[in-house]
Amino acid sequence: MEQKQELEKALLELKRITGVTLDVSAGTDDEIVHALSQIRCLCTAYKEKYNKADFLCGLMTGGIPSYDIQERAARLHIDPEEKRVLFLLEAKSLDETAGEILKNMFPSQTKTYLVPIREHTLAILRPRRPGETDSDTARIAQTIVDTLNTEALIRVHLSYSFVIDSLSDLQEAFRETGLALRVGKLFYSEQTVFPYNELGIGRLIYQLPVPLCENFLKEIFGADIPDQFDDELLGTVSRFFQNNLNIAETARQLHMHRNTLIYRIEQIQKRTGLDVRLFEDAMTFKIATMVLNYLQAERKH
Amino acid sequence: MASLSLEGIQKIYPNGFHAVKDFNLDIEDKEFIIFVGPSGCGKSTTLRMIAGLEDISGGTLKIDGKVMNDVEPKDRDIAMVFQNYALYPHMTVYDNMAFGLKLRKVPKDEIDKKVREAARILDLEKLLDRKPKALSGGQRQRVAMGRAIVRNPKVFLMDEPLSNLDAKLRVQMRIEISKLHENLGATIIYVTHDQTEAMTLGTRIVVMKDGVVQQVDTPQNLYNTPCNLFVAGFIGSPQMNFMDAVCKVNGEDVTLTVGEHVLKVPASKKKALIEGGYDGKTVVLGIRPEDVHDSEAFISNSPDSIIESTIKVYELLGAEVFLYFDVEGTQMTARVNPRTTLRTGDKAVFALDMEKIHVFDKETELTITN
Repeated sequence: MEQKQELEKALLELKRITGVTLDVSAGTDDEIVHALSQIRCLCTAYKEKYNKADFLCGLMTGGIPSYDIQERAARLHIDPEEKRVLFLLEAKSLDETAGEILKNMFPSQTKTYLVPIREHTLAILRPRRPGETDSDTARIAQTIVDTLNTEALIRVHLSYSFVIDSLSDLQEAFRETGLALRVGKLFYSEQTVFPYNELGIGRLIYQLPVPLCENFLKEIFGADIPDQFDDELLGTVSRFFQNNLNIAETARQLHMHRNTLIYRIEQIQKRTGLDVRLFEDAMTFKIATMVLNYLQAERKH
Repeated sequence: MASLSLEGIQKIYPNGFHAVKDFNLDIEDKEFIIFVGPSGCGKSTTLRMIAGLEDISGGTLKIDGKVMNDVEPKDRDIAMVFQNYALYPHMTVYDNMAFGLKLRKVPKDEIDKKVREAARILDLEKLLDRKPKALSGGQRQRVAMGRAIVRNPKVFLMDEPLSNLDAKLRVQMRIEISKLHENLGATIIYVTHDQTEAMTLGTRIVVMKDGVVQQVDTPQNLYNTPCNLFVAGFIGSPQMNFMDAVCKVNGEDVTLTVGEHVLKVPASKKKALIEGGYDGKTVVLGIRPEDVHDSEAFISNSPDSIIESTIKVYELLGAEVFLYFDVEGTQMTARVNPRTTLRTGDKAVFALDMEKIHVFDKETELTITN
């Protein structure tokens, strides 16, 4: 009974993706299992060959050899040489609502492809129109985020790539956007949109091997590497850095006496040997806190 | 509609960035609250925390008395309008407004009722069959608002919704939003960096800087009695004039000396200076441009508040004239009657309306006299 239901489902799926209706006469359980397996194979083969999202997902993840790109793209009516930008979207829950919103934001005539990658990740491959600039791309990215925020009421993060000249660059663009998303969420957590080319020092730290990071931290903190600095201390130093190491301005903004601020700064010096009032030490401390964040995220992973 | 309570709200990002500090505010039902401040002051972050789009690092958010800190955005009964809105290009205005409700599987007749009601409120009834391409910027923005209205939420959250419109449309939309507030009787929280927008729309304004609330008050009170130098400078256009002045107390008399100009402090202001122990100290004297007068009648009645300078720039705006001049190296502005005879290069005498001065502590930047 259960097998029969599965078979009916598979037939419906086949009809949905190919438009072909099959009439299967399978009497015994073995025949049903055999038919089910063949129909599933048909669906997979069809998806692999004719489904645009599957093809583009394969391209991004390196599952399609370069010699096959042109032919398969032509078969799917995808212009392989069109200029495009890849947006990579991540949300806590990419439900049906979010999918519908995106489909309607980018209807088929816009030649924008929505490619599900994983449960919480979706790629949007959008043509770059003539005359569009990088700031237009940034605006589109923000519009996607704002629209999903307001319409689907979900939190999203989004990164975007360089302009892709041809589909053969898609894998590299996917790698870049993936990196931008990970680095952005880790080091620039106050943002929701991460352009591939604005990752700053975060990009550098993220690509360092863990042992090297640990050695760096040992050099600064000695054997006693803190798990994390307390929020108050980090907040104080962060504000001090935002004010270009200006004690009076920082104390004023934090509504604290300058001596309290100096005391906190001296606490850091006592603990790390770094006097964050000096540019070089401030830089080292800033990088050390970023490396600490990175290692913490790695450990959680 | 709803009341909100924000108690000690904090936002600290994992990278240590302290975006919002100890934010306390009670918002009454049907209030139109404005969060205003320079870019990066934490106003949008606070709004996003109310929406549930950012985690709250500390403090308690309540809507209608219920703690909302860990409630999903979709369960908070809010609607948002942001700066970057996308209308679905292939759908009509009607379908654009109905789309969100369709996704929530609201019955068709209910959708129709809500869309038509929102269209009526927003004066979009005649445009319901049009596609976004055939709409003006202002009409598109109204459709975006319509999408929020049809949800019939407890609270509307708006984050710089007019920023993408040109100046003329912004003024028009400001009026529309004001009318909308009256018609809906809704609780609205509105974020802007534009102080004119804040002053014209809000029933109360929250001025923020560096993640800290500076002052919460009505537009009129913010303008007349700013609590510190930042609020005094941020609210008002052209902004308040500031000069360093030395306070001198001589028995019952208090004067403020700006270079060679000696200004007599009126009775209503001098008590705070005397009791605050400001004798001999440098303070910051603030005066709004419209309180700097060039009329002969005012000058002859105010012999103890005279300043002299040379006009550097004369700007005629039709109904008023802005005169720019320096006093002891500080640029000042006077907003005067267009019939003034003063022109660029003229030696000018002005009298300050000393009843309207503001005096700030130079160290703490807090008001002394308000």
